[in-house]
Amino acid sequence: MSRLRRFFRTPEAIAGALILALLAAMALAAPLLFPGDPQAIAGPALLPPFQDWSLPLGTDRLGRDVLAELFHGARTSLAVGLAAAAAALLIGSVVGTLAGFAGGLIDEVLMRITDAFQTVPSFLLALAFVSIVGPSLGVVVAAIALGAWTGPARVARAEVLSIRERDYVAGARVIGMHPLEIAFREVLPNALPPVLALSSVIVAAAILTEAALSFLGLGDPNRVTWGGMIAEGRTVLRTAPFLSIVPGVALVLTVLGVYLVGEGVVESTAVRRSLS
Amino acid sequence: MSDLTISRRGLLAGSALLLASTALPTIGFAQTPKKGGRLVLAADSEPRNLNPAIVASNGVFFISSKIIETLAEASFDGKDGLQPRLALSWEGAADGLSVTFKLRDGVKWHDGKPFTSADVAFSALQIWKPLQNLGRTVFKDLAAVDTPDDLTAIFKFAKPTPFQLIRNALPALSSVVPKHLYEVGKIEENPANNAPVGTGPFKFAEYKAGQYYRLTRNDAYWAKDEPYLDEIVYQVLPDRTSAAAALEAEEIQLAAFSAVPLADLDRISKVPGLKVITKGYEGLIYQLVVEINHRRKELADLKVRQAIAHAIDKDFVVKTIFLGYAATATGPVPKNDPQFYTADVPTYPFDVAKANALLDEAGYKRADDGKRFALKLLPAPYFNETKQFGDYLRQALAAIGIDAEIVNNDAAAHIKAVYTDHAFDLAVGPPVFRGDPAISTTILVQSGIPDGVPFSNQGGYKNADLDALIAKASETLDTAARTELYKEFQKKVAADLPLINVAEWSFISVARDTVGNIANNPRWAVSNWADTYLAG
Repeated sequence: MSRLRRFFRTPEAIAGALILALLAAMALAAPLLFPGDPQAIAGPALLPPFQDWSLPLGTDRLGRDVLAELFHGARTSLAVGLAAAAAALLIGSVVGTLAGFAGGLIDEVLMRITDAFQTVPSFLLALAFVSIVGPSLGVVVAAIALGAWTGPARVARAEVLSIRERDYVAGARVIGMHPLEIAFREVLPNALPPVLALSSVIVAAAILTEAALSFLGLGDPNRVTWGGMIAEGRTVLRTAPFLSIVPGVALVLTVLGVYLVGEGVVESTAVRRSLS
Repeated sequence: MSDLTISRRGLLAGSALLLASTALPTIGFAQTPKKGGRLVLAADSEPRNLNPAIVASNGVFFISSKIIETLAEASFDGKDGLQPRLALSWEGAADGLSVTFKLRDGVKWHDGKPFTSADVAFSALQIWKPLQNLGRTVFKDLAAVDTPDDLTAIFKFAKPTPFQLIRNALPALSSVVPKHLYEVGKIEENPANNAPVGTGPFKFAEYKAGQYYRLTRNDAYWAKDEPYLDEIVYQVLPDRTSAAAALEAEEIQLAAFSAVPLADLDRISKVPGLKVITKGYEGLIYQLVVEINHRRKELADLKVRQAIAHAIDKDFVVKTIFLGYAATATGPVPKNDPQFYTADVPTYPFDVAKANALLDEAGYKRADDGKRFALKLLPAPYFNETKQFGDYLRQALAAIGIDAEIVNNDAAAHIKAVYTDHAFDLAVGPPVFRGDPAISTTILVQSGIPDGVPFSNQGGYKNADLDALIAKASETLDTAARTELYKEFQKKVAADLPLINVAEWSFISVARDTVGNIANNPRWAVSNWADTYLAG
């Protein structure tokens, strides 16, 4: 509880949390407020915003409701961001723990693989992966996770290296626990907090990568995505700039929100550490 | 029908295809052409192989038609819609077994060697017939080319070949390349494919990948005083939004082939110093077509195909996706074609209720979730409009209970998926009508085409009646009878729906006011531009 209070002491964290709460509300409310297919044609094409109150943000080139697309796009962005970050953290912490705990050859091999992934720019990796496998939501999540797990792996390994020398780990060895059980039940949970601190950065990067992939036409074409909306609007940028600006602003706010919350978490834990 | 003059072609195109255009061209004021100057224009693709005799496509013609000439070019007012280029006259024998070309005298290749009938014979026999994407069908029965003298070429056919077809094929299929450069080595690997040598008004100067192509004036061009321009530079601008900005910034003077997005035209037509020109593409009609995989049992049912045709609001497509710069289609021949088009075909007005009734009749009832069946839809990625139509079609199909999943691919993967792997249920394609159904239209429905031939019937459609009709038309010599057969062909295609023709469209040019003699023939963007000039 006190930790939560510490978190909400900084105005940045409050702002971030508010933005994220709003987004989550948008994502959850989308099917209730805009039931049916958000890509259905709802009115005349290229209606500017604030002209017709049944279509408050206007319509795109085919006459689709921009507001409905924005709400449904929030679902995709958040789902991809969270799923990709979760997958990256999971892969990263497992690889890091194994490497750090096992040491020796396994450590060498796993860390060289990590190096190999780290040397390829993650966006290029995602681009190549999606264009080979074919764009769908699951593939996009996998492609983003593929480029994002190396950070958590390195942090996890560093933590595990210090934890594995502790007394309780030696104790667990003495009572005859299986090394894997020690690694994942005793060491990993204690190595997690610094790894989790990376999550906000990963979520923000994942949302941006997803938007960039969709912008290049490599997103799932059967779902509304903000990146896809920006790409659609780009051809009419000079005549209907709102089509790109609206999802662009949403994207900026989301990433900002995630980042601010991440800062808040780091701040509050830092305060706690300095207090203890 | 063949006695329709070609000015009718321009007229029809102007009225039918481009009626809704709000931005009328401001061309037509007489001005004496000025010599000199460099024309800079936008190029959106970078073909590596610039040999139009091998790759007869608009992307290649756009650049190489200024360098390599054809026997004849399309014309608004010439006889049979043609004007002479390398050939001065052409005459078909009554038995359909030979065509005689009289060639232009005093023409020189860019390297100084004289152009003769041997070059024509070589190009026809060694390139058009065996290697060219379109020539393979049209010249399949070409047996020999006699060259009694340097200025006469007589095409001999093994089977009677309609003269009308050869005539209609001349503007696109008859690019003549120099024999003396191509007779050694493999034609496909000849260096002249990347640095072409021709007889045209401009010489190939250089190509910088990702930057530009530069052509310079051919001082020894056969037409006196032409060309007017000193240089043509194709600035590579793959991003469509940047062409409009480059025009406004006066970095380029011309953007052809709709390099400026349709949605931007209304705005840009009001910019002082720029003009929007809708003419000059009448001979380059693209058709928006729904390709159907007849291997799917639902789609093999005529009622389902009719239901899909009724579910598409063609007027919406023309108005919203093409912003009026297109016309609704009735069948496989575009409305603006002066020779073959007939409106007397079965039509499918937009009627969702009827489409639903047809699907119910066919036995595909809606399930509890309102869906009848699901299918995969592959929109061709070449044009914004084909992609947008894919999005629209998905919605139109949803309205009649068909759940379409869009699969996006890049150009190469799309061609492989549709034309080789047949991994589609519906595809959106943009085939080109080239002035005669036998050139590139009948293969869209004809059966027996090997897998992997792009822009052909790869949907597994087989109709013995239609095949027989196509075969008969290909050997009917009488122009009127042949035209009648193609009218019958349009009726049968519209009735049986091997594919669904939705709309036909062409392109828009945007140019600075200073560019003169724009759009003065029906294939202007891919013609030789010898008379194009820059004023002031």
